Amino acid sequence: MTSVAHKTLGTHDAHHAPMSFWRKYIFSTDHKIIGIQFLFVSLLFLLVGGLLAMQIRWQLGFPGKPMPGGGILPESMAAGGVILPEYYVQLVSMHGTFMVFFAIMPLLVGVYANFLIPLKLGAHDMAFPRINMASFWLALLAGLIMTASFFVPNGPIRSGWTNYAPLAARPDLSGVTVGQMLWCVSIVVLGLSSVMGSLNYITTVINHRAPGMTWFRMPLSVWALFITAILGVLALPVLQGAAIMLLFDNVLGTHFFDPVAGGQALLWQHLFWFFGHPEVYILILPAMGMVSDIIANGSRKPIFGYHSMVFAIIGIAFLGWIVWGHHMFMSGMNPTLGSSFMVSTLLIAVPSAVKVFNWLGTMWRGNLHFHVPMLNAIGFVSMFTIGGLSGIFMAATPVDIPIHDTQFIVAHIHYVLFGGSLFALFAAIPYWYPKMFGRMMHEGIGKLHFGLTFIFYNLTFFPMHIIGMGGQMRRIYDPTIYDFLKPQQPLNVFISYSAFALFTVQILFVFNFLWSLKFGKKAPQNPWNDNGMEWSLPNPAPHGNWERTPNVYRGPYEFSSPEAGDKDFLPQFVKLPTDRDPVPAPVPAGH
Amino acid sequence: MTATNSQPSGATHKRPNYMLIWLYLFVLTVAEVSLAFELPVSRNIKLLLLLFLAVWKALLVALYFMHLKFERWRLRVIFIVPIPLAIILVSAVIMEHVR
Amino acid sequence: MTHGTQVLDQMRPPSPAEPGAGVYSNKLGMWVFLASDVMFFTALIGSYIVLRFGAPGEWAKPGAVLNVPLTAFNTFLLICSSVSMVKAFAAIQDGKKYFLRPVPGKLLRDGGLKFWLLVTMICGAGFVGVQLIEYFKLVHHGFTPAGFREGSLLAEHAAADPIKYGAAVAGLYGSTFFTMTGFHGFHVTCGVISMTYLYFTKVLPEKYSPQDYRGIEVIGLYWHFVDLVWIILFTIVYLI
Repeated sequence: MTSVAHKTLGTHDAHHAPMSFWRKYIFSTDHKIIGIQFLFVSLLFLLVGGLLAMQIRWQLGFPGKPMPGGGILPESMAAGGVILPEYYVQLVSMHGTFMVFFAIMPLLVGVYANFLIPLKLGAHDMAFPRINMASFWLALLAGLIMTASFFVPNGPIRSGWTNYAPLAARPDLSGVTVGQMLWCVSIVVLGLSSVMGSLNYITTVINHRAPGMTWFRMPLSVWALFITAILGVLALPVLQGAAIMLLFDNVLGTHFFDPVAGGQALLWQHLFWFFGHPEVYILILPAMGMVSDIIANGSRKPIFGYHSMVFAIIGIAFLGWIVWGHHMFMSGMNPTLGSSFMVSTLLIAVPSAVKVFNWLGTMWRGNLHFHVPMLNAIGFVSMFTIGGLSGIFMAATPVDIPIHDTQFIVAHIHYVLFGGSLFALFAAIPYWYPKMFGRMMHEGIGKLHFGLTFIFYNLTFFPMHIIGMGGQMRRIYDPTIYDFLKPQQPLNVFISYSAFALFTVQILFVFNFLWSLKFGKKAPQNPWNDNGMEWSLPNPAPHGNWERTPNVYRGPYEFSSPEAGDKDFLPQFVKLPTDRDPVPAPVPAGH
Repeated sequence: MTATNSQPSGATHKRPNYMLIWLYLFVLTVAEVSLAFELPVSRNIKLLLLLFLAVWKALLVALYFMHLKFERWRLRVIFIVPIPLAIILVSAVIMEHVR
Repeated sequence: MTHGTQVLDQMRPPSPAEPGAGVYSNKLGMWVFLASDVMFFTALIGSYIVLRFGAPGEWAKPGAVLNVPLTAFNTFLLICSSVSMVKAFAAIQDGKKYFLRPVPGKLLRDGGLKFWLLVTMICGAGFVGVQLIEYFKLVHHGFTPAGFREGSLLAEHAAADPIKYGAAVAGLYGSTFFTMTGFHGFHVTCGVISMTYLYFTKVLPEKYSPQDYRGIEVIGLYWHFVDLVWIILFTIVYLI
């Protein structure tokens, strides 16, 4: 019986003259290196976002008390260590901005679209390697510009990550001058990076699949990343346009969003959310795709309902364009319009639910292996379900009216973004770590990290549903100034303590990640006994991936297949005696 | 100058007469400008006609210069997809002013 | 240095077993980019439509503030550049890498890729030049992104005849006009710069051939798109 797990299809390194360190690791056009660059930078921004959150939680839990370590902040931000209201709204705005644009989006798309797509398709690299490199450097530039806004006079924006006009359009109202301009410029640059990346992913998936890799043999991670790229390429430019108009309102004296001069403040909201809703699907679809791969692997079963999973992804992406108004039910928009948004939003729950049931169906009576990625993936399914359920509440306009802009919404956001996307990342990072770095992350620490994170995460965010229902608004500086919120303050304190614990526990992940780079167990070629094309390469995968374009013989989820003999998996690249080649594999053209 | 056009994808077709398309575009532009300033039609009719002419010109450029008439459906779809999205966005926001 | 993926022949999609879109990657990539650019202009043009539809006052009459004859000429110039672009494309498909070649029995010489692409670049640069002149004149007369500048000629006209000059919404008029045409002009400029780069690095050294004219086709698509957007813009900004 052929040793299915250890088939190596050759390396590529020998063909090339040795590259300098700079060319190989810094200004690299290799999609894998670019993915790893995104990983390191985005994890840093995730840390920044987390630090901002800790300050928010301090203020909400202990309003008016000097923050430990607050002395290092300038007096304009924290007088005597006490967070000032102006700084608080900046914290809230920047936490959202960094987490959405510079942590989660690049972690899911910048890292995994770049790293996985060519590997899982049997391609040597992306369609446009140099544009890919430009995409990373632009994203980094955008991140630096955004970070710079902390260090300019009056600091960063104060209008929330959604930056609503007219507050955002009028420096005389917001008090923020340079910071607003930097936000707009950063977003435009990031949009450019995102569009360049997305067009690379789309072209690669359409045109660079290996022979035999038909559309319905692509793993769900690739399907999800492909559809995400389509969303990105169409949605980001709208945000860029809006950010440019906002920038001009601030700098050139234009009046797009200023009602005083005939502009429309609501126009900003419509433009932002027309982008913003597809954006949240960009933030969740790759997570769903990767989790599908991991759950199938951890259950040793094919994904339940592969085709319906693909159509669900397409359905979510398609419907995602016509639901944006559900972020604006309280804006005073046309009620007829509001009703149509309610209907479409309720509808979009259906394909998401299909996916959840299919994950459960995959696990049902599977030979479950609770490795760290599987644990986090199952955590994803359960937490995302809760987030989705709170979404149904909000989809119904009459229900949304009292809970809009309360902590209930904050709970929902964090259940889908942290409970969803971030848990999916905690699954994906150890899963593909061997392919990236040639070593395994420590399993024991990973399990401890999962358990503690899961507990403290729920203790932090679940009570937010309750205080939200109780009326605590978003983005407010001090809940205790309101008599009706005073009875809930103990819950705020509880949430803050849980949040501090949650943040502290992440040290385990950081330690595991960094320590394993040097001291992790050396990874076997296919440590998870998985079927993807990437596992036919050594760890870490070499430059250029395969020497000769591989052939693909079957779909991606052939676990527990009778054809596999005594193994419970059958990779896509393994040729059984009964298989025929898709076409004679083409001779590589001279490089 | 060959009249046929052999595409790498294999499909051959007669190359369009680009100078003729240029003439159409010129005539349509003149028509637009005269319509905007000379013709005594009501404002709404004028608006519709001008938009019609503009779209006609745009289609000429897209179909013949950008070669979409001769491309596969799969390629055409890439350019077509943003259009309904644009219509949805603009219509929805215009509804704010129609109560 | 880049390996790209395996290609049998540069103008064909990489894998014969999975032909994908049936066109080579550079072309596919440019089409996807153009789709994203449509969305970008949707944001700008869509905002213009919405702002104008919901404006609290009458918009300026066509031709009152803006110079329609000059811009009509400019439109014609851009359309000509689009024609010369497609003729450049046809030339390289036919293998005509030269500049000009006499045709026996005909008065006009036959233009090759080098000729037609140069015409395109000149017309494109001309368009930008005319637009810059137009901008300077407008600002000089008092039309800025913020509206009519106080004390300027246009402000006086607007005070005398507020309906014709759309005085109530001059701010919106200025904002939308300069943003839309400005970004379009930016796109044209990028196109001219790219063409110039290609001209000197690839066209003059005759690197394109009927077997491989990808760069010409791709820049051509971009150029026609820019023309297409202008066709829409000219109508809805200058003529309505």
